[in-house]
Amino acid sequence: MLEIHSLEKRFGSVTAVDQVSLKIPDGQMVGIIGRSGAGKSTLLRLINRLAEPTGGQILYAGDDVSALRGRELMAWRARCAMIFQQFNLVNRLDVITNVLLGRLNYHGFASAMLKRFTPAERAFAIRALDRLDIAQAALQRADTLSGGQQQRVAIARALMQEPKILLADEPIASLDPRNATVVMDALRAINREEGITVVCNLHTLDTARAYCDRIVGMASGAVVFDGPPAELTIQAAREIYGVDGLDEALSESVTSTSIGPAPGAAGSTSAPSTRTAAA
Amino acid sequence: MSSSVATMTAAEIAALRERFPEALSVDRRRRWTHRAVAAGIVAYMAFCVWVFDITVERLFGGLGKMWIVVRSMLVWKDMASWDYLGIFQGLAETLGMAFLGTFVASLFAVVIGFAAARNVVPNRIIHHLVRRFLDLLRGVDTLIWALVFVRAVGLGPLAGVLSIMVSDTGTLSKLYSEAVENVDRKPIEGVRSTGAGNLKVYRFGYLPQVLPVFLSTSLYWFESNTRSATILGIVGAGGIGMQLSERMKVQYWDQACFIIVLILLTVAIIDTGSKWIRLNLIGRREL
Repeated sequence: MLEIHSLEKRFGSVTAVDQVSLKIPDGQMVGIIGRSGAGKSTLLRLINRLAEPTGGQILYAGDDVSALRGRELMAWRARCAMIFQQFNLVNRLDVITNVLLGRLNYHGFASAMLKRFTPAERAFAIRALDRLDIAQAALQRADTLSGGQQQRVAIARALMQEPKILLADEPIASLDPRNATVVMDALRAINREEGITVVCNLHTLDTARAYCDRIVGMASGAVVFDGPPAELTIQAAREIYGVDGLDEALSESVTSTSIGPAPGAAGSTSAPSTRTAAA
Repeated sequence: MSSSVATMTAAEIAALRERFPEALSVDRRRRWTHRAVAAGIVAYMAFCVWVFDITVERLFGGLGKMWIVVRSMLVWKDMASWDYLGIFQGLAETLGMAFLGTFVASLFAVVIGFAAARNVVPNRIIHHLVRRFLDLLRGVDTLIWALVFVRAVGLGPLAGVLSIMVSDTGTLSKLYSEAVENVDRKPIEGVRSTGAGNLKVYRFGYLPQVLPVFLSTSLYWFESNTRSATILGIVGAGGIGMQLSERMKVQYWDQACFIIVLILLTVAIIDTGSKWIRLNLIGRREL
């Protein structure tokens, strides 16, 4: 169980995350939705401790992870894997090495510097790549792959960490609809088959509705909705996105056809917007 | 199927190795090549240490003498009698030499840089000739050019300017041409698609992409030339180096130190200035 208690992050006078409290049971797939700038990315970065909270607490299995330092903090990051909108792979390394980077926390200094990964680790890495259907690119440099392939490499790296939680920060915002579907399907499979908790930032409503067990809506840093997709009414969506943002959120759909017509989803057939979502 | 690294069985690993032999099997030949290269580097280093007779005693004995020089550098005596006018004139001369040399070399390099770029001049013979010519300019060090020009035009800053100009034309042209070769093809195609001729494509497709690189390269070389112009003075090509070498010859270490501090300050100021210029002319994104 991941418990967040009145978590807060302020940048000067701006409050990016404002008194957020959430309880996420193990194995849940949670979609966090909201406009860009609503504090979704900051929230994930706080959970992974890439950013320091200015207030509140994060507990995992009863341990206060917001107080961890040094080695324990790094071990927490390994248990709570993260993937990013821009994939954040090391372009100049080959794919399998990128995936094996997920083991760095499990290695000492010398064996990491010398890339002394065990046969079991290499085999695990290639199997993870194979399951994501990119094993054939294992020896290619990461930057030779397309965006969708790179994001799958990033997922394989996350799996290599053998995490309890997988945080995904706008994983499909830089991808075309087909690749976005592949990536979202992979995240759901990981959640269902491995029982890994997935917390996924999405700025489109339909994707969240189609893939997630639970939806958390954020606006100006605060949680304004928390419940199952079925409870996400048009009024609730309007509160999350504001009146102007709603059409946009609905139109950037990934799999709007795979689920029944969502309330007010009339705009979902229009062409994807070219807006680039800021993280 | 095991879901963790720790529980991977030997059979599972073997099966995966069978399916993905390239990714999983250790490339023995490559490993041994790496080891051989590493051994070669170590052996060469050891050989050099042996040939140059580098020993611990000699290193520490030298340090003792260094200390005497350092001490006399730090105690500044008779400061009222120092020839400040000469020193600052020399500094100004050095700056002028570096600026003039780099500036003229940059102008040449814009033209030669394009001519030396494979994507602009695809003719392999011309490309080759230009490249070898640049190698010649670059391969001969600025210092050698300075000695040549001091003979040709006499002692003084002109020899310095010419030597910086010639050797930097070589270096800058090469760096510029690499920038030109690394341009993004897409905007160039975009400009060509509008019906623009070659020169217009260079001007609007290439130049906006390479200009930031050109500018920051030249600014860096201006700074670097200010430093190396110091050495040029030592062989008689004018500037602060002449002042410095004269004082070191007669062991005025304190004055030499003063000059070195001035050079360091000047370089720091140029560095700050060029940062500012880059920021304002190129914009923050490229930095």
